[in-house]
Amino acid sequence: MTLLRQAYLLLRKDLLLEWRRRDSLLTMFFFGTLLLFVFHFAFDMPPDKVVELAPALLWLAFLFTGTLGLAQLFQAERDNHCLDALLLSPLDRGALFLAKTAFNLILMLLVESVVIPLFWILFNLSSWNLLPQLFLVTLLGTLGFCVLGTITAAITLRARARELLLPLVLFPLMIPVILATIRCMEMVLRTGSFGDAIAWLRLLIGFDVIFLTIGVLIFDWVIES
Amino acid sequence: MRLTVKQLAKAYGYLWALRHFDLTLSPGEFVALLGPNGAGKTTLLKLLAGLTPPTAGVIELDGRPLTGTATAERGQIGLLAPAEHLYDQLTALENLRFFTALYDKDSSASALEKALLQVGLSARAQDYVGNLSAGMKCRLSIAKWQLLDPGLLLLDEPYGVLDGSGIDLLENFLKEHCARGHIVIMASHHVARALKLCDRALILHQGRLQFDQRKQTPWPAFEHAFGDFLPRTGP
Repeated sequence: MTLLRQAYLLLRKDLLLEWRRRDSLLTMFFFGTLLLFVFHFAFDMPPDKVVELAPALLWLAFLFTGTLGLAQLFQAERDNHCLDALLLSPLDRGALFLAKTAFNLILMLLVESVVIPLFWILFNLSSWNLLPQLFLVTLLGTLGFCVLGTITAAITLRARARELLLPLVLFPLMIPVILATIRCMEMVLRTGSFGDAIAWLRLLIGFDVIFLTIGVLIFDWVIES
Repeated sequence: MRLTVKQLAKAYGYLWALRHFDLTLSPGEFVALLGPNGAGKTTLLKLLAGLTPPTAGVIELDGRPLTGTATAERGQIGLLAPAEHLYDQLTALENLRFFTALYDKDSSASALEKALLQVGLSARAQDYVGNLSAGMKCRLSIAKWQLLDPGLLLLDEPYGVLDGSGIDLLENFLKEHCARGHIVIMASHHVARALKLCDRALILHQGRLQFDQRKQTPWPAFEHAFGDFLPRTGP
C-alpha cells in the first residue's frame, strides 16, 4: 500500500474521531476567539496602528491555539495503547507523520478561517481585499507550524510533562517561521502586494518543503525512540 | 514462517529485563511462555512485536532481520493484548474496517460481519468500542487478528477478561491458527490452560530462559522447573 493511501486512511480515522469528540476543535475555536477579545479590550488603538500590530497579534493567537491542538494530537493513540497498534502494523511511519500534519493543518485552518475575519471586525480594519493574500501567507506559516508541531508532539509523546515540554521545544524552533510569516503579512498589509515580501515568502516555502521532507524521513526514528 | 532469536537482551537503565535469550520456532508451533511476575514475558513479547528495540541480539523472520523499517515483516506479526489496541470512539465494525484496510486485507462488509458473527459480536457491530466490556473488546481483538491472519501471533495474558465461551472461542482460534502453519506464543499465568494448548513450554525467570522443552506426557522436567520457578498457586 502506498504512503499516501496509508496517510489517507489515518487522516480519515482522525477526522472521524474529531467529528465525534469535537474536543480539540471546540477548544481551539474558543481559545482563539477569547484571545481576540482580550487583545481587543487590551489594545485600544486606531485602525492604522493596529495594522502594524495585526500580524504579531494574530500569530500570537495562532501559536497558543495551535499548541492546544498539538497537545491533543496523539490523544487517540495514547488511549488503549493504540499507538502500539499502529507501530505494530505495516504502516510507513512517514504516512503517520503526513496524516497527523494534515489533520492538524485542517483544524488550524478551520480556526483561522474564523479568527482572521473576526480580527478584522473587532479591530474595525478596512483592508478586506487583502484577506486572500493574508490567507495564503497564513497557510504557509501554518503548514510550517504543523510540520514542526507534529515532530515535536511525537518527540514529547512519552514525556511525563509533555504539555509543558511541547511549547518549550517547539517555540524556539518556530522562530524562523513566525518571523517570516509576520514580516510577510506586515509587508502585504503595508504595500497591498507581495512585492517586497517575496524573499520572506521564499523562506517560508523553503522551510515548509525542507521540514516536510525531513519529517517523512525521520519520523520512523522519532516515534519509536 | 520461521522465527529465530539470537542472544536477545533488553535492559531498562541498569536493570536487565531479558538476557541471553535464544529461540528457534518452526511453522505451526504453539509456545506457552510462562514465568512469575517480572520474569520478562511482556518485554519478550514487545521485543518480538518490534515495539521496543533490543539492547542486544537479533530477531529474524524467515531469515530477515526485524528492524523498525521492515514494514513487510511487521505486517506478519500480531499482538493480542486484551482490551487494548482498539479505538474507543470507533464502532466495532469501524475498528475492523480501519485495521484490515491498514494491513491491506479483505475489508469487505461481508468479511467483517462474518468475523463479528464468529466472535458473537454481530449485534454490537455499530456500538462504540468504549461502550463494550473488556471481554467483548477481547473478542473483538480475536476477530481483528482472525481477519489480519499474522504469521506470528503473540498473546499477553488473554484469559483474564474472557468468560467460558470466550475462552473456548480463543482456544479454537489459536488451534486453527497453528493448524494453518502460523506460530503462536502465549504468555499466561493460567498454566494448565496454556499447557493444554501448547507444543512447547518456555519458563522465564529474572530475565533468563530457565526451561525450554517440547511437551511430553508425563513431563517430570516441567514439574521440576514449575516447582522451582513458577508460583505454587498453579494447577
